[in-house]
Amino acid sequence: MTSLRRALIALAIAAFAIGVASAALVLTSDHQSSRGLVVALILLAGWGFSGTGLFAWYQRPASSIGPLMTAIGFTWFLQGLQASEDSVIFALGILGSALPYAILIQLLVTFPTGRIETAFQRALIVLAYVDTTILQLAWMVFTDPTKEDGCRGCPESPILISSNSTLSGIFETIQVLIAIPAVAATIVYVFLHWKRSDRRDRRVLSPVLLTGAIAFGFLFVQLVLDQSGLPETAVTVAFIAGVMAFSGLPFAFLVGLLRLRIGRDEEIRTALTAENRQLTAELEAKVAELRASRTRIVEAGYEERRRVERDLHDGAQQRLVALTMSLRLVRGKLASDPDGAAELLDEAMEELGQATAELRELARGIHPAVLSDRGLGAALSGLADRSPIPVEILETPSQRLPESVESATYFVIAEALTNVARYADADAATIRVSRVDGTVEVEVRDDGVGGADPTAGTGLRGLEDRVAALEGRLAVDSPRGEGTTVLARIPCG
Amino acid sequence: MPTSVLIVDDHPSFRLSARRMLEADGYTVVGEAEDGAAALEAVRELDPDLVLLDIQLPDLDGFEVAARLGAAGERTAIVLTSTRERSDFGEEIAVSPARGFVTKGELSGEAIAALIG
Repeated sequence: MTSLRRALIALAIAAFAIGVASAALVLTSDHQSSRGLVVALILLAGWGFSGTGLFAWYQRPASSIGPLMTAIGFTWFLQGLQASEDSVIFALGILGSALPYAILIQLLVTFPTGRIETAFQRALIVLAYVDTTILQLAWMVFTDPTKEDGCRGCPESPILISSNSTLSGIFETIQVLIAIPAVAATIVYVFLHWKRSDRRDRRVLSPVLLTGAIAFGFLFVQLVLDQSGLPETAVTVAFIAGVMAFSGLPFAFLVGLLRLRIGRDEEIRTALTAENRQLTAELEAKVAELRASRTRIVEAGYEERRRVERDLHDGAQQRLVALTMSLRLVRGKLASDPDGAAELLDEAMEELGQATAELRELARGIHPAVLSDRGLGAALSGLADRSPIPVEILETPSQRLPESVESATYFVIAEALTNVARYADADAATIRVSRVDGTVEVEVRDDGVGGADPTAGTGLRGLEDRVAALEGRLAVDSPRGEGTTVLARIPCG
Repeated sequence: MPTSVLIVDDHPSFRLSARRMLEADGYTVVGEAEDGAAALEAVRELDPDLVLLDIQLPDLDGFEVAARLGAAGERTAIVLTSTRERSDFGEEIAVSPARGFVTKGELSGEAIAALIG
């Protein structure tokens, strides 16, 4: 269980306990009237807000909506403290009695993000807190609660400095003069926010704003009625109605949050679907490319084998056949014409030498033995020696490379040099093989006529495939008249 | 009278070896051709008793040349040859107007004589 969960469970238990304690205080109070109604109102709003607040906090730990709702619930329970006989607890109850409304103002103007974003929001919220705490304290300093109607049996206020009805009245008036516009401003701000929102956001805001408006509407009415001196009953009715609406708020917030989550889920789903579609398209393109490359490689393999068969047939095989016939002749002539036989044998040995050379060349074309035995440096020297134009080897790696990489490097260079000899009309060429971090760089440069087109001949295409199969890249830079550079980069672990 | 032979093959080394072998066995080599077209021309001109015909030629293959010679009513006997083996050609040898086939590795005067009777 995470520490947040532990904390929220602890808070839930605390909320329950405090609610019960608060209710107990009210029920056992000497000076509290309408005890049943008061308990109902305290528990309804207190547990409503703390319960839904803790749930919202759990759902969205990063947002301040959950904590704010929970705070409203907890501070609402402070109302019950007013029923206490203990003067300190009683005073605390009065001090904190308007605090829930200030928190509610913060909640309403920042719903659903929970973030204070504009200066107006900040000003309104600060004003609300000042009004309900500092000014409340100031008022209490000069107010004797026992002089209020309905509070004859109340305990003495411990923070009463001197009962001064003028100052008391002044602070109370200031409070009301701030409260009424603040509440009105909250209602208007919230309505404008709703109006500015698109249909989707309105679905989230509507339940909250409606319920909040109703609750504050009643609060507004209660504040006005209170000042107007109308009968107690009217004020009380307005108060009760307000609290009922207030108690409905947590559930309205919850509905809003759930709608938000559903909306967000849909957003996420849409975004994921679009991303999924794009990734699938990219994947399909990549698969098609790989398939084409693989086909080319396989066909290149067939082509290679046909070439080998042709080379064997036309070259070595013919020579061996001729040799067989010559040897048969030699046998026939051994007795009758030894000199003729000797001459034939000389010719036969020459044929054999040529056949062997051809086979050697063919084998090199398949896989040069010197590459496996002695490495890239030796194999490249051989290529350079056999090249019809001068080839200088600028750099070769000091250590052996993986076999597939050495093989690909060798064939890239061999093919590049073949092209140089055939098409480039160059005076000289250079070879450079270097290992940089995890990549082998292969460069063959010549000073010929340039203008090479890698898409034209299959030689370079086959090399591209061979290099790509190792996750490498081949590039040909061949501006006309400026020579050709073949550059391959092959990852090398 | 010694049998006159036209050797048809695109490999000069083989033509040389075949000439030597045939001459050693008593044949008279009257000409050489290195492709199908030259072979048909040479048969018309030289009228040899025998054509030693390689199957793998650069233009027409040996079977085609044999078929044309047969169709033209030429009297010359044809022996097909190749570095490959008989089994590589399936039915084609049987349906060809040639007298038979000898793989180059086993080519000799006797083998040819056995085919042309």
